Amino acid sequence: MDDLEYIPIAALNQYGYCQHRCWRMFCAGEFLDNQYTIEGTSLHDRVHTLGEGSREETWQIRAIWLKSERYKLIGKADLIEVENGQWYPVEYKRGCKGEWDNDELQVCAQALCLEEMTGQSISNGYIYYAHSHQRQLVEITNQLRQNAIATIQAVQTLLMTGEMPKAVKTKRCDGCSLFSRCLPGVVDKVGRYQEAT
Amino acid sequence: MGTVYITQEDAFIGKTDERLHVKFDKKTILDVPLIKIDGVVVLGRATISPAAISELLERHIPLTFLAETGRYLGRLEPEVSKNIFVRKAQWQAAGESVQAIHVVQGFVRGKLKNYRNMLIRRQREFPDLDLAAYITRLEQAIAPIDTTNSINSLRGLEGAGSAAYFSCFHQLIRATEFTFTTRSRRPPTDPVNSLLSFGYSLLRHDIQGAIDIVGFDPYLGYLHCERYGRPALALDLMEEFRPLIVDAVVLSALNKRLLTSAEFVTEPLSHAVSLTWEGRKTFLRLYAQKKQSEFKHPVLGRKCSYQEAFELQARLLAKYLMGEIEKYPPLVLK
Repeated sequence: MDDLEYIPIAALNQYGYCQHRCWRMFCAGEFLDNQYTIEGTSLHDRVHTLGEGSREETWQIRAIWLKSERYKLIGKADLIEVENGQWYPVEYKRGCKGEWDNDELQVCAQALCLEEMTGQSISNGYIYYAHSHQRQLVEITNQLRQNAIATIQAVQTLLMTGEMPKAVKTKRCDGCSLFSRCLPGVVDKVGRYQEAT
Repeated sequence: MGTVYITQEDAFIGKTDERLHVKFDKKTILDVPLIKIDGVVVLGRATISPAAISELLERHIPLTFLAETGRYLGRLEPEVSKNIFVRKAQWQAAGESVQAIHVVQGFVRGKLKNYRNMLIRRQREFPDLDLAAYITRLEQAIAPIDTTNSINSLRGLEGAGSAAYFSCFHQLIRATEFTFTTRSRRPPTDPVNSLLSFGYSLLRHDIQGAIDIVGFDPYLGYLHCERYGRPALALDLMEEFRPLIVDAVVLSALNKRLLTSAEFVTEPLSHAVSLTWEGRKTFLRLYAQKKQSEFKHPVLGRKCSYQEAFELQARLLAKYLMGEIEKYPPLVLK
């Protein structure tokens, strides 16, 4: 595999949310903003300014590249911290914790990169939810690792074949910025449609 | 969202902050937020600032140049969509494929059914008209469409249906000062033809914008064959919309006396007919109003404007070609 075939860590998150959305964004190159993505971007404008510093006993690095040769992952971390010699990732998200586990997948993938880059094993990460101003602990359990690795493989296949996963209408579609392009309900509607004679 | 039409000869198009700014003779004639614009059409001659050009490209707003008469000159095209899969599906269906035949059936059926429905509606409104024979001829062209599996034969049905429609089009014009005998183009030599041609140019800009957004290659069509510089797919997708939008606007402009013969000028020698500056403004206003008007989309079952419908039909076409839906439903309205 050459350099082009590293998987963006963010794609794992999208894949966990909706496979079809992941295809649209990372295979078809489509992106549309909505209220949520704009909020997210302006949050990340603040977070994604490269810098380092410390907060009491904690050393912080913002917006650095993470990479794993083993899993062929690449992406930018919002924040990496070191406390008592232990590294861990912190991912920033708008809003509060959602019902889906896609954010955990992303943190786990960051931890996998960090393990390879630092040589130490990482058992924790955090998600900072801007709405509640609170960090939520993400335990990098075996189960989560397995999910993340399976998702990495699925995304790899998706990016390599470019095969489009079907658009399936779910509750998540309501918040999706690509709704107007995807039109997930249209398959059924066209199927039922009888053109006037 | 809408299209900005710049009709003032020698206008200057610039940008200030987040707004498009049009000046003439040092006076501001238009000042609109760029976020509200999804297309700019220049009729005639205008100057555009480098800053405005890059802003339009950045925001994926296409800029179309039409001659004063409405003849299409060209277009400043923002970066093409990265969705290679739509273009791949479009090219894979090229030629005499099952999918190409299906969509051509759709385009032709959509256009002819809308022609027929328009005649039926007029006949009901004005019982003194004699449209029955033409409606029958249209029915005869529509009936065999779905069992005709050659694109050339479908072109024949389309031709026969259009001929029937334009043979009685003069009956739909209820303003005595205007007559129509046959479709004449390049150049149109009577006011009615000049309005139709102008309207189809505007429609083409809009449809091409929609198919660009969806990610198609506008130059590969199915009903219209490839020819250098001809956006065949835009012409294909236009078919079903012609009667719904342009013909309807032309007829209402004439029948409601919103345009009179005073709004047309005829060139000496060539007899090319075009609108006056004032007439053009009137027609553009009517066209823009029509695009914003709403109807219930028969497939989606919800309200939608014609402007939205351009993109919707293009998306349905993409979904059909990519195998997401089983059929392409042309927009047919009663």
